[in-house]
Amino acid sequence: MDPEELALFRESLRQATANHTGKALDDALDELGWRDALTADRRAAVSALFDLQGRANATSSALDWVMAGALGVHGPVVLPPLGSWEQPRQRGLATFAFANRAPDGVVVTPVSGIDPALGMVEVTGDLGASASDAWPDTVAAGQLALAHELVGASRTMLQLARDHAVERVQFGRPIAAFQAVRHRLAESLVAIEAADAALGAAWEVGSPQTAAMAKAVAGRNARTVARHCQQVLAGIGFTTEHPFHRYLRRVLVLDALLGDTRALTQQLGDELLSRRRLPPLLPL
Amino acid sequence: MELDAFRASLDSWLDEHSDELAPAFEGAGTLDQQMAQLAKVKRLAYDAGFIRWGWPEHVGGLGGSPLLRGYLGEALTARALVDPGGYSMVEVLAPTMIDYASVELAAEMVPRLLRGDEMWCQGFSEPGTGSNLASLACRAERGDDGWHVTGQKVWTSFAQFAQRCVLLTRTGLPDSAHRGITAMFVDMDSPGITVRPLGTMHGGEEFCEVFFDDVVVPFERTLGEEGQGWSIAMDLLPFERSTSLWHRGAFLNRRLESLLEAAPPGALSGAEVGDVFLQLFALRARSRATQYRMAAGERLGPETSVDKILLATAEQALFDLVPAALGDDVLLADDAGGEQWRSQYLYSRAATIYGGSGEIQRNIVARRLLDLGADA
Repeated sequence: MDPEELALFRESLRQATANHTGKALDDALDELGWRDALTADRRAAVSALFDLQGRANATSSALDWVMAGALGVHGPVVLPPLGSWEQPRQRGLATFAFANRAPDGVVVTPVSGIDPALGMVEVTGDLGASASDAWPDTVAAGQLALAHELVGASRTMLQLARDHAVERVQFGRPIAAFQAVRHRLAESLVAIEAADAALGAAWEVGSPQTAAMAKAVAGRNARTVARHCQQVLAGIGFTTEHPFHRYLRRVLVLDALLGDTRALTQQLGDELLSRRRLPPLLPL
Repeated sequence: MELDAFRASLDSWLDEHSDELAPAFEGAGTLDQQMAQLAKVKRLAYDAGFIRWGWPEHVGGLGGSPLLRGYLGEALTARALVDPGGYSMVEVLAPTMIDYASVELAAEMVPRLLRGDEMWCQGFSEPGTGSNLASLACRAERGDDGWHVTGQKVWTSFAQFAQRCVLLTRTGLPDSAHRGITAMFVDMDSPGITVRPLGTMHGGEEFCEVFFDDVVVPFERTLGEEGQGWSIAMDLLPFERSTSLWHRGAFLNRRLESLLEAAPPGALSGAEVGDVFLQLFALRARSRATQYRMAAGERLGPETSVDKILLATAEQALFDLVPAALGDDVLLADDAGGEQWRSQYLYSRAATIYGGSGEIQRNIVARRLLDLGADA
């Protein structure tokens, strides 16, 4: 896509994610040809949609299409249970769209949990998946999408906290005038830009390892952003009248899917320790 | 010359001349040894042409993208041929000379810096002027024969080795803040200059106090216009946070690898090593994007404070691992290897202090990138 096409595409996705979620967002994505875009320009389609989905706190079954494309299958892909990135055989998680397409003998149970709005389902039964050589690339494709969603959610958390800080007056001035508050917001922006840059590098290198690294950075940094922004939002951010809580919930689940920060970081570190050398670095 | 061709030809040149380029000392060496090594490497890289790429032809360069400079410094740092601190003066000061010195002065002086004939320093901070740069007091007054400079600078890196100094002076009224500052290019052998190196906790006497007692600086050595010093400084500081940060990031990756090699089994945990490498990965990704923005002709500004915050945080996180992982070496041993780890660990403590403290960088992010308005 050239820059102009990309801007138009992104704007239509922005409207779709701002106005729809769940099945309605899936329909909107079908209508504007997001799946064709996924085939034509995977990076543009994934980065734009998942960033905006994260910003809007919307949900869709787009992750299915991203991972199915990488795995080379037509149906939806079952994600491993939390804490794992191995190809699931008996038990896993899926987007809400899986319920309509589940094979016979597979039991689908809706998951409410900390983020009911995400509409995930738990899947048990014979998932019939034979080990696929394409699984590492499938995980990587999903990790990149989730990392974009984490960065998008982080950007909205920062926007909410920033707007609150310049409007909320205490001691006769906006709380944004106080260095303790300013530095929390600055720290949040640094965390977001770091995750965003790591994602750009992961797309360029295109290896499963860099995708996992970008996901780990995005998950860790989204938690950093959530911590600082929640403190700046203070009382109002703790109420359900303010949207912050929905983003905190979403970040916790997105971080846990396809390997959480802690597990991915540990795996990376163990590999470095066993090889005693660094992998090839991102070239200039 | 394209980056890929430059990379290939530089890499093979570095391989072929590795003996000639290698330092004649073990470990970090003394500061004198480091300076001699830096001059030697620059001279060889100049004669072979490599250090001239990425600079304009009118200052002795061969043209081409600044990315070539990015790769050269990275390769020299990654192979432990230069220390990124001393090498960074080229990246910080040559652009200022090219943009603000007269064409003749830049053409005469910049090649000497590139070729390693000279070392330059940067006279910004003063005893009463740390974070608040606009409050500087080193006075320059007009005389018949040029500016007469009287005052004191501090934290001037490598001043004892430097032939020239890019100096910020107060030419306006004492309270003229950022409006009354003028930059000039000063010969360090001018009568009236006294340099006093400061002992610092990491060992090398890199930082100096510099005293100016009625030092005469010809008017043609003025950089930019009288009163333009603040904007020159604001243009210079992003250079500290772009190519030189890319080079420093390469240094940190090299030292992480050395740490992996040196640490006894079990001394490091996967979680902490993974976390540091992730930080270095994000820093490298961010800094790489900055190199490409610069190469595309974009004007660098406050967004480079993000790069500096990432660098300082990653540098301290890396060296935080060292005392525990290499306890005997760092805390007890007096050999070159132990001394190098010790010195680099202690130097890393300053990463959030020098070149704009962590607090100042966050103030810049808050004010300029998040538009939070004035602070209290």
